[in-house]
Amino acid sequence: MLKVQSLGKRYGDAWVFRGVSFDVAPGELVAVLGESGVGKSTLLNGLAGLDTVEEGCIELRQTQVLSLDEHALALWRRREVGFVFQAFHVLPHLSVAQNVALHLLLLGVPRLERETRVQQMLRSVGLQGFEDRAPRTLSGGQLQRVAIARALTHRPALVLADEPTGNLDPDTAERVIALLRQQVHELQAACVLVTHSRAAARVADRVLQLQAHGITPA
Amino acid sequence: MTMLLTLLREVSLREWRLHPWRQGVGVLAVALGVALAFSVHLINESALSEFSSAVRSATGQSDGALQCPQFCDDRIWDVIQAQDSVRAASPVLEVDTYALNARGQRMAIKVLGLDALSIAAVAPDLLPRLSPGTGDRLDLLNPQRLFLNPAAMQVLQVQPGQTLLIQAGLELQPLMVAGTVATGGSPVAVVDIAGAQEHFQALGRISRIELRLAPGHPLLALEARWREQAWWPVGARLQAPQEGTQRVSTASRAYRVNLTVLALVALFVGAFLVFSVQSLSVAQRTPSLALLGVMGLSPRQRLWLILSESLLLGLSGSAIGVLMGTGAAWLALRWLAGDLGGGYFPGIAPSLQFSATAAAAFAVLGVVAALLGGWAPARQAQGLAVAQALKGLGGASVRTLSDWTGPVLVGLGAALALLPPWKGLALGAYGAVALLLLGGIACVPAVVAILLRHAHPQDDVRAVLAVGRAKAHEDGTCRPP
Repeated sequence: MLKVQSLGKRYGDAWVFRGVSFDVAPGELVAVLGESGVGKSTLLNGLAGLDTVEEGCIELRQTQVLSLDEHALALWRRREVGFVFQAFHVLPHLSVAQNVALHLLLLGVPRLERETRVQQMLRSVGLQGFEDRAPRTLSGGQLQRVAIARALTHRPALVLADEPTGNLDPDTAERVIALLRQQVHELQAACVLVTHSRAAARVADRVLQLQAHGITPA
Repeated sequence: MTMLLTLLREVSLREWRLHPWRQGVGVLAVALGVALAFSVHLINESALSEFSSAVRSATGQSDGALQCPQFCDDRIWDVIQAQDSVRAASPVLEVDTYALNARGQRMAIKVLGLDALSIAAVAPDLLPRLSPGTGDRLDLLNPQRLFLNPAAMQVLQVQPGQTLLIQAGLELQPLMVAGTVATGGSPVAVVDIAGAQEHFQALGRISRIELRLAPGHPLLALEARWREQAWWPVGARLQAPQEGTQRVSTASRAYRVNLTVLALVALFVGAFLVFSVQSLSVAQRTPSLALLGVMGLSPRQRLWLILSESLLLGLSGSAIGVLMGTGAAWLALRWLAGDLGGGYFPGIAPSLQFSATAAAAFAVLGVVAALLGGWAPARQAQGLAVAQALKGLGGASVRTLSDWTGPVLVGLGAALALLPPWKGLALGAYGAVALLLLGGIACVPAVVAILLRHAHPQDDVRAVLAVGRAKAHEDGTCRPP
């Protein structure tokens, strides 16, 4: 589903990484490990078209991502990509249900269908009954579940998770990663999880190690 | 478009509810600018329209009039009648005063003292007509009788045969309504000229002479010829029928333009406040906008989202502004008359004349001001580097002005202020006001930087170190140097 070939990123003359190639199958969760500063988040931003890459190619469902212009990239992200962040990034002035519905809003999904899909997704992540709750009343684990629901509610082909357990205690982190894996499997999405947590990586279907000269199985 | 409206409703408006005062300031700023500009326009248009109507009703469609500076000796009438170029002439004494209506309220009215025997040939609309059963034909010359036009009848709520109290000096003069005059426009009362001279203590004086000219004698040529005559009254002029309105319009132009420019300055301040409100809003919402960017809201759509918010501010402000402006104009016309006490429109009490076209035009001005104010913040949202912004690394590409922009604008403003007026309007000065305002704002960052440079921060550092040494000494953790 996702094919990454010979990806390279540099700032000025200094290459952050180069020759990064890997595939992710539908329903597969691939964890990318690496030391701080090796470019894990930069790789994720590159995969999403949020940052430029100097060489290589990215293909998702026969779409050459790097050939898309800025507007087309935004539309592609809207349809095909779901994001989960370390800092949750849940909008504080919206309720849980409204946060989860954001992608569907952008896609212009009609209100009734939107509500149905949000209900289903909240049920899937164990947040049934939390629809009208304000984000400030939720714990870190619950907030991350909201973020996962938001990332998956539009059924994306690719899920990108940047240190999703970085702000959580170990038990909660384990549950959140398990939930992410389960949802990715159910939706048959390709998921790239960037983390420095070996515990989080253990849940993944496959673990890769990012280095300056490429990416290798860990 | 649908997606933007949905985002506006589902995301932006919910965020506004958290900061109602912030958005309220923007709406109020636009509303005040629109209200001020629209009320000035309404007041002036209402006053000019009323004045024009008053001029029409008082002249009765003659070919022109010899207009006295204030009063002329009524013997000039004989001289004018003797001129070959004049087919007919009729003297008029015009007084702006008040009459008490049926409820005892003072209503503004123009009293015309006319010669009923000569006015028909010059201005037939002003010819008094007796109402059946109110008296005989000699009442046309009776100083205790008056004749009202339809507007006066309506405003004063009197009928022929009833008595009306007219303010004459410090007294109320009772006069019986004996009939009507056909002239339209604002309220007019016609009395015999001799009676009017007596009532208003103007014996031997007239305000003007209405003229019917012989063919081939244009007014301008006639005035040039008569001005050389010894009998020509000092300060008098020959006036075309609509010249009065034009003269007042010209006289009041400076005050109208000044007030309009003041209103535009208010709109400019409104635009600046919208800029401040939207800049603050975008700065506070950087993570939200970045998140939407990551989720697929393109840079162009972020620009449109912020501009849509500004449009909403502008529309709300303009709607409120038009209502406030209408209310302010109504109050001003009621309490201060049409010239806000300037004395340009004597003897009229204009009523508000609302114009939907003007309301729409001023509403558009308010919306444009809001959009201009929202442009820079919208561009900031468009240029957001979303990935960095989500990590709290700013992410906004801010383009700052050169340090010289402010002083250059101020200098240009000062130069513009020296330009002479154009067609009687100080356009250069208005441009100078705009440039000085913009220049002043543009100077702020540089001035702040200079002030900070001269604030001797090294003194503060020494003070902090001294406090630190003192504390450490007190704790015994180290020795002072």
